[in-house]
Amino acid sequence: MFNLSIIKQFSRLSVTCTASIKQIYSRNIFTSSALQFKITEPLCAEPMKKKKKIDPAIIKAREERRRKKIEKQIRRLQKNARQLKPIEEMEVPLHLFDEMSKRKRAPVKLSPEVVEARALLQKDWAKYKQQEYMSHVAQIDRIMAAQRRALDKLYEESEELYDEAIMPDLSLIPYTIDGPVVTPPIKDYLSPDGEYIDVTKKWDN
Amino acid sequence: MFLKPILLKELRQCQRILRRGVSTTSSWDIVTGICVERLPVVTPPLNEMQKKYKDMLYAIELENSLKSDHEIRHDYEKKQAELLKNESADVDLDTVSKITAQDFEDAATEELAQFKFADIVTEADKAGNKASIERCLQRHLVLVTTLKLGQDTKTILPQGKWQEGETLRQAAERVLLQHCGSDLKVQFLSNAPCGFYKYKYPSEIDGKVGAKVFFYYANYKSGNVNKNVKANWLTRNELTEILPDKYKKSVGEFLIEETY
Repeated sequence: MFNLSIIKQFSRLSVTCTASIKQIYSRNIFTSSALQFKITEPLCAEPMKKKKKIDPAIIKAREERRRKKIEKQIRRLQKNARQLKPIEEMEVPLHLFDEMSKRKRAPVKLSPEVVEARALLQKDWAKYKQQEYMSHVAQIDRIMAAQRRALDKLYEESEELYDEAIMPDLSLIPYTIDGPVVTPPIKDYLSPDGEYIDVTKKWDN
Repeated sequence: MFLKPILLKELRQCQRILRRGVSTTSSWDIVTGICVERLPVVTPPLNEMQKKYKDMLYAIELENSLKSDHEIRHDYEKKQAELLKNESADVDLDTVSKITAQDFEDAATEELAQFKFADIVTEADKAGNKASIERCLQRHLVLVTTLKLGQDTKTILPQGKWQEGETLRQAAERVLLQHCGSDLKVQFLSNAPCGFYKYKYPSEIDGKVGAKVFFYYANYKSGNVNKNVKANWLTRNELTEILPDKYKKSVGEFLIEETY
């Protein structure tokens, strides 16, 4: 049965169904129905590939390996979670502790007058700052009152304008301002180039 | 206790509505005035108290500090130099550096002396040019212009009439643009007016008795005022000299005092 079906595959080439190729060459032609050309049977699909069988033990081992790898990564991350990135400028370098005795200045003996003067100055300064603060508060009050008055007067004139005026000005956010400086800027001044060395340390694990 | 502020607020609202109801047709012109202020560029000088306190803080800071690398090097070199003078045997000549800490210090001081800082007293200060923005760097400056009001011209903050269909803030921006040109860039600090001033016309104009001026506050950013306009940047003292009496009071109400 199997043989027959294989031969059918080559039936296009064969002249007879059962005759061998040798027979064709010998011009052994029959007039029977077997001589007619036949259409091969259509094959609509590729023959199935044989499924590779993997040992279940190997699969298990592979899975295990993957899980272990992830677990290891998690463990490493957890270990580092407690460890914070050091802030170098917050820590006193150790060599400074070693040189402490060398770096100490000669202790200054302050005369009682100086101590007294300093204490007095501290008190005066507190008073001065308090006065300054009070004057600031008064100024803010004054300015706010002026604005309140202006808004009240505006309300008397027109309610629409008042409503527009009390809307917040969103264009002000974000607001930046360059404060006053100690020396005035020099016009067209090109500051000399310094050397730029990036010493930033990378702390990723 | 806590009702009081709420009641006060309500009362004020009622008052406002009442007043509005009484005056149905406005017989006043609405005018916006713009107070353009240049903030100080340079910090004002310290007063007596501040100077004293600063000196004290510096002294305490120095007393409590440790020696720097530079000072240690300086001390070390001094010791070495003395040893060298006494021709002590145990001085290693290699360790005595060619450029000492003192040399470095001298070079640095010399470099600083050669550097020329910009002068706080600018050319405009020397020439007494009040129209320039580059004057009195340590003070607040307010822009005033000459305006023609009716028959007489006055030197006041730039102002102009509000037109139908725009908000007061838009009116202020438009007036400033028309008056000072597009080169002058300012930053308005609020949608709300910061001050109010009211004056009467000598005679009624188009059925209007007078003008209510709403001041807007703006900070100077960049640019110059149009050259055709006679504009001055004035300090607080100069403002009090030049502005009319009542007007001066209204303007002064919303300006920050200068302490020096």
